[in-house]
Amino acid sequence: MSDTRVRNVGVDLQDANEENLRLVQAIVADNDGAQVTRMPGLVRVQVPSCMTIRRETVETHLGREWETPEFQLAIVSYFGHISTWEDDEIVIKWDH
Amino acid sequence: MARKLSMKQRYAALTRDLDWTPSYVDEEKLFPYTRFEGIKVNDWAAWEDPFRLTVDSYYKYQAEKDKRLYAVIDSFAQGQGHLSLSDASYINAMKLFIQGVTPIEYAANRHFSFLARHYNGPGPRFAALCQSVDELRHTQTEAHTLSAYNKYYGGFHSWPKQFDRVWYLSVPKSFIEDAMASGPFEYLIAVSFSFEYLLTNLLFVPFMSGASFNGDVPTMTFGFSAQSDESRHMTLGLEAIKFLLEQDEANVPIIQKWIDKWFWRGYRLVSLIAAMLDYMLPKKVMSWKESFELYFEEQMLEGLFKDLEFYGIRPPADVAVAIAEKEHYSHQAYWTLYQYSYAAGFTTTIPDAEHLDWLSAQYPDTFDKYYRPLWEKAAKIEADGGRFFNTGLPQLCQVCQLPMLFTEVDDPEVVAVRDTVFEGERYHFCSDGCARIFADEPEKYVQAWLPVHQILQGSCGGPTLPEVLAWYGFQDGDSGEYVGSADQIDWQQWHSDEPVRS
Amino acid sequence: MPVTALYPEYKYPSRSRQELYGDDILVHVGLRGNRLFAAPSTHRVPPAMTFAAFLTDIVTPWVSSDPELDPQGLRGWTLDGSAITPEDTATLADLGVGHKSLLTFEA
Repeated sequence: MSDTRVRNVGVDLQDANEENLRLVQAIVADNDGAQVTRMPGLVRVQVPSCMTIRRETVETHLGREWETPEFQLAIVSYFGHISTWEDDEIVIKWDH
Repeated sequence: MARKLSMKQRYAALTRDLDWTPSYVDEEKLFPYTRFEGIKVNDWAAWEDPFRLTVDSYYKYQAEKDKRLYAVIDSFAQGQGHLSLSDASYINAMKLFIQGVTPIEYAANRHFSFLARHYNGPGPRFAALCQSVDELRHTQTEAHTLSAYNKYYGGFHSWPKQFDRVWYLSVPKSFIEDAMASGPFEYLIAVSFSFEYLLTNLLFVPFMSGASFNGDVPTMTFGFSAQSDESRHMTLGLEAIKFLLEQDEANVPIIQKWIDKWFWRGYRLVSLIAAMLDYMLPKKVMSWKESFELYFEEQMLEGLFKDLEFYGIRPPADVAVAIAEKEHYSHQAYWTLYQYSYAAGFTTTIPDAEHLDWLSAQYPDTFDKYYRPLWEKAAKIEADGGRFFNTGLPQLCQVCQLPMLFTEVDDPEVVAVRDTVFEGERYHFCSDGCARIFADEPEKYVQAWLPVHQILQGSCGGPTLPEVLAWYGFQDGDSGEYVGSADQIDWQQWHSDEPVRS
Repeated sequence: MPVTALYPEYKYPSRSRQELYGDDILVHVGLRGNRLFAAPSTHRVPPAMTFAAFLTDIVTPWVSSDPELDPQGLRGWTLDGSAITPEDTATLADLGVGHKSLLTFEA
């Protein structure tokens, strides 16, 4: 990579309900430097380089069991590359 | 009870364990379309789907999305939600959406189901199958959502027919049919990568935010519901391009050519979205320029293309033109829609003073200099009892099929015209991008069904304007000026103190 | 470059070829230096039409929707990018206007 600036990755989620707000809190808790911005109907979380969404942290914030595929109900868009989507975590980063 | 399989294991069981090697027919006969484009795939098993989607989880979450959406549609209808929109003029954006975007979703449904049969590898076949079902869901949810407005407002009644006939809808139609008439790999780069990954955010995100801001709760909900599938489609696009680039070095120049072509095709298509964002939303969310900078320049050029550099891929040719045009794009597109809206399935109007000031603030370098004077002139014509309509049928670009409305990058007062003579016939283009696409495959684009040329051939209902508009399926109240239109009069009556008519 | 096609001999005619317009041709007309008209316009005309008739029957009705424009003062004609000085009595064919040629002018 010729450019060494840190590139952000991020997700846009529906700003729809309490559960999605908890989801945002869980992402912020697990990712240093997370920035949260709002647009009508939308909430965006972006972080430098790599974002990890951990099932355990989300479950703690929601107070219930949560499966990673449930993330599909909240996500509107993202930027970066989904490099991992497993039972325990989702990782979004740039590859190169 | 057997231990539950992990997502990864279940996905492998579905896509790999259910596949078989053909024994009594050649693979080349079984998959006849995956060679002629020159793309080399050495190992189909290398295809990865990060979503690891399986049938049970696919339907489980899709059903949940639909349940949430239909609950919103029902309550909006029961609560007379349409009366709480920001203004009836907002509805014009939705007319353009259902006329121009929904039929693309349906076309994508058809073509992804074709691809779900025709890729050699089970991974991409299953991803294409899911996307095919997604696209059908989008078509249906959009039709159901917007049908609620069809009871009260003009312009919603004949969109599938209009998609096949109306001049400005040949822009999205020719886009998707160009992709469908390509091979299965070019289609992936065209739709899954260039459209879904590079440009979809420009289309959906600000637009759905706009719906939210303008009180259109069902549209916002279907938009975000569709967009949640879109994030899977983006992944398919990104997976596809990385897979093809990693398979064989010989694929790189072919992919680059497709990225150049389909970025430009998609970018020209979203000029209609640019017009909608800056001119058709009574309450604005963000300007086209801001949206382009955020979703394209920042996320794609600064993010994605740095990643693709690793494979020897550079940003699309002509990207500099698109960046230069961001100051002009929406203004030129809406100015065109304004003056031809007597032949459109929606109405247009002069932006009010507050709206003009917003545009000046968003575009300090260009709006007051080039575009405000045009609106002032239109306002003067109106003050003298007229309404400016362009009565000449517009000259169209042979490739993107938009009117030749764009100006030179270094001179916003000169219309950009490119032309070429191919086998004795002259063809015109709106840009270097469109001219290059033609030059690459002239045999394909000479067949373009250009609405204006067809009208003049007499293939569109008859030689006169009323005959053409009748053939388009337009009815009273669908077209022309917003002020004084049926939609506006009804809206005012619904918001007056008089008893609402039954 | 030839088209990338599934089969050889991929060859189909233009959907806008001249023969589909009988004895007529399509002519594009563009007004330079006036952005009121967003795009040039396309007209179907007989090539035997004189330039004077082309002005009266085709160009003037089109540009007259600009109230500040004087249809008598059209000048600076170009044909497919080259300057021309058309005589009123010359036919479009005489002037070299072909199928889908672009004529531009200033007002």
